[in-house]
Amino acid sequence: MNAPVRLRVENLTKRYGGLIAVKNVSLELRAGEILGLIGPNGSGKSTVMKLMMGIEPVSGGTIRLGDADVTQWPSHRVARAGVGIVFQHSRPLHRQTVLENIKLALLPDSLIRLFADRDVDTRARAIADRVGLSAVVNRHPSTLPFADLRRMEMAKAIARDPQVVLVDEPFAGLTLSEVAAFSDLIRGFRDEGRAVLLVDHNVKSVAALVDRVFAMYLGEGIAEGKADEVMQDATVRRVYLGGEIAASHKRAEAVADKPPLLKVEDVSVFYGKAQALDTVSLNVGQGEFVSIVGLNGAGKTTLFNAMSGLVPYSGKIEFGGQNLSRLTAGGIARHGLVQCPEGRELFGDLSVEENLDLGGQHLTAARRREQLAWLLEMFPILRERRTQAARTLSGGEQQMLAIARALMMDPKLLILDEPTLGLAPVILEQLGRALEKLRETSPITVVLGEQNVTFALPHADRVYVLEHARIVWEGDPQRFAKEMGTGYL
Amino acid sequence: MKNLLRSPALYVAIAVVVVAALLPLWLDGYILGILTVAYYFGVFSMAWDLLFGFAGEVNFGPTFLIGLGAYTAAILDNQFGPPIFVCVLAGAAVAVLGGLLLAVPALRLSGPYFGLVTLVAVLLLQNAIVIFAHWTGGEIGMTVPDVLSIDANENYWYALGFLVVCAVLLFGLSRSAVGLILQASGQDRIEAQALGFNVTKHKIAAFCISALFSGVAGAMLIFYMGTASVGTVIDISVGVQVIIAAVLGGRRTILGAALGSIFLIVATEFLRPLGQLNTFVVSAVALAVILFFPDGLLGYVLRAGERE
Amino acid sequence: MIYLQILIDGFAISSLYALGAMGFTLIFGVSGVLNLSHGGIMAIAAVIGWLAAGDLGFGVYLGTLVGVVAGLIASYVTYFIVILPIQRSKAIPRDETEIFILTGTLLWGIMIQVGLAYLFTDNPVTMRPLIDGVTYVAGVRTPKNEIMIAIICWIVIGLLWLLVNKTPAGKRLLAASINPRGLTLLGFDLSRIYFFVWGIYGVLAGVAGVLLASFLGVSSASAGQLTASAFSIVVLGGLGSVSGSLVAAYVVGYLETITAYLIAPTLRPIPALLLLVLVVYVRPQGILGRR
Repeated sequence: MNAPVRLRVENLTKRYGGLIAVKNVSLELRAGEILGLIGPNGSGKSTVMKLMMGIEPVSGGTIRLGDADVTQWPSHRVARAGVGIVFQHSRPLHRQTVLENIKLALLPDSLIRLFADRDVDTRARAIADRVGLSAVVNRHPSTLPFADLRRMEMAKAIARDPQVVLVDEPFAGLTLSEVAAFSDLIRGFRDEGRAVLLVDHNVKSVAALVDRVFAMYLGEGIAEGKADEVMQDATVRRVYLGGEIAASHKRAEAVADKPPLLKVEDVSVFYGKAQALDTVSLNVGQGEFVSIVGLNGAGKTTLFNAMSGLVPYSGKIEFGGQNLSRLTAGGIARHGLVQCPEGRELFGDLSVEENLDLGGQHLTAARRREQLAWLLEMFPILRERRTQAARTLSGGEQQMLAIARALMMDPKLLILDEPTLGLAPVILEQLGRALEKLRETSPITVVLGEQNVTFALPHADRVYVLEHARIVWEGDPQRFAKEMGTGYL
Repeated sequence: MKNLLRSPALYVAIAVVVVAALLPLWLDGYILGILTVAYYFGVFSMAWDLLFGFAGEVNFGPTFLIGLGAYTAAILDNQFGPPIFVCVLAGAAVAVLGGLLLAVPALRLSGPYFGLVTLVAVLLLQNAIVIFAHWTGGEIGMTVPDVLSIDANENYWYALGFLVVCAVLLFGLSRSAVGLILQASGQDRIEAQALGFNVTKHKIAAFCISALFSGVAGAMLIFYMGTASVGTVIDISVGVQVIIAAVLGGRRTILGAALGSIFLIVATEFLRPLGQLNTFVVSAVALAVILFFPDGLLGYVLRAGERE
Repeated sequence: MIYLQILIDGFAISSLYALGAMGFTLIFGVSGVLNLSHGGIMAIAAVIGWLAAGDLGFGVYLGTLVGVVAGLIASYVTYFIVILPIQRSKAIPRDETEIFILTGTLLWGIMIQVGLAYLFTDNPVTMRPLIDGVTYVAGVRTPKNEIMIAIICWIVIGLLWLLVNKTPAGKRLLAASINPRGLTLLGFDLSRIYFFVWGIYGVLAGVAGVLLASFLGVSSASAGQLTASAFSIVVLGGLGSVSGSLVAAYVVGYLETITAYLIAPTLRPIPALLLLVLVVYVRPQGILGRR
C-alpha cells in the first residue's frame, strides 16, 4: 500500500551564521504513518520541525505540502494549509479556560468577525472530549495538572483537522502510565489517516510507537528505516552510545565503609507541574568516580542543579556531612562542590586567563599561581590561547577551559555535566586522557553525567542509570556492560 | 450572550452607570468637572490597556496618540472652524496614523527599545509643538473657539456617555473572538502563528484601535476644557498617570483601567489640601499597590478563578 | 572663536552626561534594571549638597561630599525599597518583572520629584563654584569651575575604569554583566555583587548630580529630563556598554551644544532625539552594543 505523501522535504538546510544546524536533510511524511525523528542533543531535529512549520526561514532546500511549495510561507499560512504542531513546552493562555483555549484554535484569522460561529463551541467540546479533557473544560490552565496541559496542546494542534501533525517531545515530564495514554492518542491520529512526525529523546518509547525512524546527527540524516533496524545500525549506536560498551579497569580501594562525601536522599524536583526528578537517592564516596548515565531529558542536569543549589527541591542533600539546603548556591561552590555545567557558562568576552583567574578568586595568590600552572600543563592548548577571548575558542577548547576553570576552585567534588556534547571523537580522546591524568594526580571526587556511555564507563568506579526522572539501575561498570549493554538503546 | 445576561456583574455595572448619571442632582459643578476629566482619562487608560494587555506592547508615551488627536482637532478648529465632530474625526485620523507610525518599530523591536521609541515620540511631539508655536500656541497652549457645552451638567453627561460607549466597545472587543486572538498574539507570538493567526496584522490593528480611542478622547477633552496645552495632554507625567491608572485598576481588565483613572484623579483632588504632596501620596499608594497587589484592584477580584 | 567655545563648553557638559549615563548603563548591564528614578537620585544629591554647603554651613567642598553620600544613600533606598521587592515578588510573573520595575521606578522618581519640590520648592539650586574666577583657554574666556568639573569627571571615569578592569571586585562586576550564572557557579553570591554595583551607581549619580548643580543648576523639576537624557544616551551607546555610553554622551553633548550655539537654544534637544530615532531603527543595539 502506497499512502500519499503529505509532506516532503528535500535537501533542507539551515544556517545560523557560521553554524550549520541542518544539512541536506530529505524525508517524507506519508498519510497514516508515524515517522520518528531521533538524534542526540544538537542533532537538528527540533530545527527541522521548526523549518517545516515556517517558524524559522529556510537557508536552502524545499518543503512541499501536498502539491504546494510552502518553503517560503510564514507559519500562520502553513498552519492554515493543514499542519498542526504540538510544541515541547505548553503555551496556554492563562486567563482563559480550557474550552476557550481550544476555541481559539478553531477561530478564523479575521479582524472583523467579532463573534465565533455557532458550531465552534460544539466542535471545541468534541475535541476536548477526544483528548480526555471533558471534565476540566471550564477550568483555568494554572489549576490543571501537567498531563492535562499537554493534552490541551494536543487538542489545539488537531483542532482544525490537519493532515500533518508535528509532535515535539510529547513524553517529557509524563509518568509511565501517562506515556501509555499519550501514545494511544498519537496512534489515534495516525489511524485517522494523518501524517505524524514525532520527535523525542526517549528512544525506547519512540521505538514502540513509530512505523519508521529517521535518525539525525549534527544536522544530517544518518539512517532511515524500520525502528529496530535503525536502532541496531552501527552508526546510530556509535552516535548515541559512543561506540562499543567495553568493560573498564577497576580501582582497587574499597570505598564502601567510609561515610559518603555526597549523599542524596529522596530528592524530587518539579518545574511548575512537570516532574523532573522523582525521589532520587544516591551516594558518592570520597575519591570515587561515579558516572550517571542517561539520555537527554532523563534528569541529569536537574539533579546536578539541585546539588549545586540552583533549583529548589524536596528531600535532602548532604555534602561532607553538611546539609546543603542551608547554603546559597555561591556558598555550595565555595564549600567545594563545583559544577562544570552543560552550557559551560564561560565569560565569552573575557580572555582565557581572565576566566581561569576568576575561578581562583577564593584561593590565596600563591595557591592560585600553583593551580594555574598545574592546569596549563594538563591542558596545554589553553596555554597557547591564554590571551584570546573565550568565545573565539573552538567547542573542544571551550570545554577544556570550562573544566579547567572549575578545577581552579580546587574542588573536593567536581560535577561534569555532558562534557562530550557536540565534540569530535579526537577531542573526546584528549578529554578522556585529561580525566585520567586528573584521577592519577589528585584525590578529587568526580561525578560525571553523560549520554555517551562509551566515554562514561572506562573511568567510573560505579554507575547509576537515570531514566525518566528515576534511578533505575546501580552497579559497577562490568555489570553494566553485561546487563544494560544491548537493552540500553 | 446568554451568559452575559445572567451574570450579576452586568447588573452591578448598569446600577453603577445609573447612579453616576444621577450624580449631577447632588454634586456641584466643581466636583462634576473633576469627574468629567476623570471620565476622559478613563478612556485614555482603557485604550492603553487594550494595547498593553492584549497586544502585549508597553507604550510609555500614550500621550503621543492623545496629543496628536487633541492638537489636530484644536488646530483645525482654530484655523478653519468646522463643526466639532469633524475636528474630532480629523483628530482621530491623525492619531491612527500616529499609531501606525508606532506599530512599525514595535514589530521589529522588543522590550526596552520599543518603550524608548514611544518616549522619544512624545518628546519629539512636545518639541514640535513648541517650535511651531505660531500654530499651536507653544508652551502656553491654545484656546479653541468651540466647546461642547457651557453647562457643567451637560459636559458631565457627554463625558459619562462617551466613557460608557467606549467601555462597552473596548470591553466587548476584549471579550470577543478578535480579543482572544489579540491576547494570544500578545502573549505568545510563535504559538499564535502556529495556530494560524497573522500576528503582524493583529498587532497593527491593536495599535490603530488604541490610537483611535486615544485620539477621539483627546479631542473631546479639548472641546470640554476649551484649551489645549502641552501640560494637559502631552507631558510625560500625563502619560505616566494613564499607565499607572491602568496598572492600578488591573492590567488586562479594560474596565479596571477606567476605575483606576477615576480613583486616581478623584483621590488627587481630595488630597488637594495637602498641597503639592497629594501627588506624592497618590504615587506612594500606587507604588504600594504595585508591590503588594500586582494584579491591581479589579484584577485581584476577577482572577480568583485562575488560582487554585 | 565660537568653535573653540563650542569645543570647550561641549566638553564639559558631555563629561557630566557621561558620568550619569555610565552609572545608568552599569546598573542595567549588571543587574538588568532600567532605573527610571535616575534623575531623581541625581537631584537628591544636588539638593542635599547645596543644602549642606549653604544653609548648614559646611562649605563647598564638604557640601559636595555630603551630596555624594546623599546620592549613595538614595541609590540604596531605591534598591531595597523598590527594586528588590519587585524582583523577589512571587505574585509578579517572571516575564513582567521588567515592566513592573519600569513602572515602580517611574513612580518612585515622581515621589522624589514631588517630595523635593515640597521640601525645597522647585527653584533650581546652584552650588557655589568649587573654584572661583575665570581663565583663558586658547583665548576663550572660561570659568575655572567648568575646567575643574571636567577634570573631576574624568578622574572619576578613570577610577571606574581602573576598578572594572584592574581590581578583582571590578572583574566580578564585568563577569556578572556577561554571565551571572557562571559567576554563581564560581562561588560568588550575586546578592553581594548587586549590593556593590548599586553602591558604585550611587556614587556616580551623586557626583554627577552635585557637579551639575555647580555647573548649570539643578531643580526638582529637572529630574525627569535628566532620566530621559541618560536613557537616550545609554540606548545610543548600547544598553549595557559602559564605553558605549561614554562615546554616546560626547556625541549627544556636542550635538546639543552645537545646536544651541549655531542654530537656536530652544532647539537644543532635537538633533539628539532624531539621531536616537535613527539609531533605534537602523541599529537598535546602539553604537557599541553587543548583539
